[in-house]
Amino acid sequence: MTLTDPRPVVTPKMSTRSGRGTRWWRAPSSPSGSSPGGNRLTLRLFLVPVIIVFIVLFAIPLVQSIWWSFTDFNGYSAETNFIGLRNYANVFSDPSMLAGLSFTIFFTLGTTILITIFAMPLAVVLNRAFLGRNFVRAIFFFPAIPSVAILGLVWGFILNPLGSGALNSLLSSLAGIGPVPWLSDSTLAQISVIVVGVWTSTGWHSILYLAFLQSIPSDYYEVARIDGASAIQRFFYITLPLLMPAMTVSWLLLMTGGLKVYDLPFTLTRGGPGYSTFTITQTIIQNGVSQAKYGQASALAVIFMLIVGIIVAAQLTLSRRLEGKVS
Amino acid sequence: MKHLPPSHRTRMSGPRTVLAAAVVLTTTIGVSGCSSEPADDRTQLTVLSWSGEDVMTPIVESFEEANPDINVQLTTAPPVAEYISTLQNRLGSNTAPDVFVMAAENKTNLIEGGFVMDLSDEPFMDVASEFNTATYTGPDGAEYGLSLSSWASGIMYNKGILEEHGITEFPQDWDSFTEALQTLKDAGEVPFLESWQGFPTSLGSSVGLANYEQGGNVDAAIFEGDATFTELWTEPLTPWQELFQDGLITTDVVGLTGDQVVDEFVNERVAMITAGPWNITAVREGAPDLEFDFAGVPQAGGDPFYTGAASPGWAIYSEAKEPEAAKAFLSFLASEEGVQQFQELTNDMTTTSNFTPEIDEALTQPYQALLDGKFYLPMISWPRYQDALYTELVAQIQLMAQGQATPEAVGTALDARLTQEEGK
Repeated sequence: MTLTDPRPVVTPKMSTRSGRGTRWWRAPSSPSGSSPGGNRLTLRLFLVPVIIVFIVLFAIPLVQSIWWSFTDFNGYSAETNFIGLRNYANVFSDPSMLAGLSFTIFFTLGTTILITIFAMPLAVVLNRAFLGRNFVRAIFFFPAIPSVAILGLVWGFILNPLGSGALNSLLSSLAGIGPVPWLSDSTLAQISVIVVGVWTSTGWHSILYLAFLQSIPSDYYEVARIDGASAIQRFFYITLPLLMPAMTVSWLLLMTGGLKVYDLPFTLTRGGPGYSTFTITQTIIQNGVSQAKYGQASALAVIFMLIVGIIVAAQLTLSRRLEGKVS
Repeated sequence: MKHLPPSHRTRMSGPRTVLAAAVVLTTTIGVSGCSSEPADDRTQLTVLSWSGEDVMTPIVESFEEANPDINVQLTTAPPVAEYISTLQNRLGSNTAPDVFVMAAENKTNLIEGGFVMDLSDEPFMDVASEFNTATYTGPDGAEYGLSLSSWASGIMYNKGILEEHGITEFPQDWDSFTEALQTLKDAGEVPFLESWQGFPTSLGSSVGLANYEQGGNVDAAIFEGDATFTELWTEPLTPWQELFQDGLITTDVVGLTGDQVVDEFVNERVAMITAGPWNITAVREGAPDLEFDFAGVPQAGGDPFYTGAASPGWAIYSEAKEPEAAKAFLSFLASEEGVQQFQELTNDMTTTSNFTPEIDEALTQPYQALLDGKFYLPMISWPRYQDALYTELVAQIQLMAQGQATPEAVGTALDARLTQEEGK
């Protein structure tokens, strides 16, 4: 796009340094030519379905879980007894919970950092004009479409630790490297799960960055070019600062998704070897369903929800401060 | 979207709103009207099974044909976690089925929670084997589940590969077993594979033999505090750890699924695997010309042994809406016709007194082991905390395979977990 490009320029107004500026995504309160009161009523009516969904699928189960966390509810009998904080005291004595906590944090940090590192440059590349660009975008987005559980099963065959495994066969024929125990060595299994997690989500997050990237006015780049800025300087002084809101959203999704991860490690390794790829969510599900300890599982879920809430709040605060500094 | 004035984008005029609501209401009423069916005067029996519809639908059809006044409303949920979760939800929401399946994983909760009917005096229980019925007998001595079959898993071996390397008879003791593994390894073959992502047949059989030789009731003693897992498990696990140390079994087993192991066998990339009756069809379909056989797992301290257990039992909800229809359904399942149909559909090794199943030639030895009682599965032998102990057990044996835990440490971890679960 050039300065004479007739396409409309959508200019995002970024937050100010103090973080209190007008948000570009905030809708005007009253479109001209319509009754403000009527619009407000209509807008509130639009909120009704989502509020119902929120209450039914989130608020009620949340309150129910909090109540169960103080009881001996086993998932079978409707009769429950109040047992105070005993479930909360028992939570941290479960070895699978402690092991699950460490891998969950490792997975969350690993995927968040790696996906950000890969997705942002990928978005920059996908934003350039080249033959078959839409096809390439679709290819990178594809891993986000199938169920993660199915991807886990497919990757389980690819990472089969035997010599006949797909990746090991390839490595053997290309480089003569012996079978690598991708899923049967504790450290490699953890790395493998993170790598597959990165593979499944990088494309999706690059599309998120791409959406924000396309809203950066080309004028900025043209002015920078005239001023003699190099490509690297343009990336670090224009692209990166203006992508900070996208990073905030991306990190939020990656952190919450990573902390809740269950299906990918479970389908790849069942949590093993040992407890090396066990996750918090797996512990909650096993406690609640398989071991009929709904009360204890609910206590863990409540604690976990609070931890996730604190982490996400801290991450959002840091991200906004960072946005303020670089914008 | 076309560019409409803001007022059109955000507001809908009053008559249009009324019209839209009317359309929605009319459609809803119309659809619900379409879904109404003529009243069914038959007794409505609700059944929840973890066998799929491919197995259950023909059985239900035969039952309905024999009992025209009963209509079965069948629902299925795949084992194990999803089935247990489904049953839990239905019990908790007062929508429990009249008939459902009781498994090792939930029998304690169902019996102790009073959710299952006492079937001790029902005539159909007479055909079930003593062992199967004992599996689903509560602490009060009442019989709560109708179990029609059992299973046993052992070693499936490729006769061609073994004969090619001079092993004409499958090893019957530990020394000849390790010798055979070494011979195969030296010849460049993969001697043995099994999935250690769950509890492996190999260890189950060895611990089972130890339990058998000590009277077969060691687990009860452990839960009563008169014995420990360390005492029962250390000796049987030790020779298996030595196989890993000697490189006769690859540590990759901890990262393999059962399907991957069977795939290796079908493609003749491994000489022996552990397998059960459920693998026969896949192997025959995958390699029609492959000559294979089953054998018990050779042991360091005695005769070959198997891992196995009674299959899940059919139970009747203690507050069943149609208890008589439910009993009729279980009577049909336990009848000669019902057992035969069930066996033909599942290939299960039925153990009822009224029907002798046609067992696949390869399963002759496992079937004999069932009749001799030479099989064991710890999870069904443990009276409680099955899943908690199972999770701990699988994690610990994987560490043992990797050389990060000793056989004694496995037993110690199980003891610690039991103590924790007991709240001591």
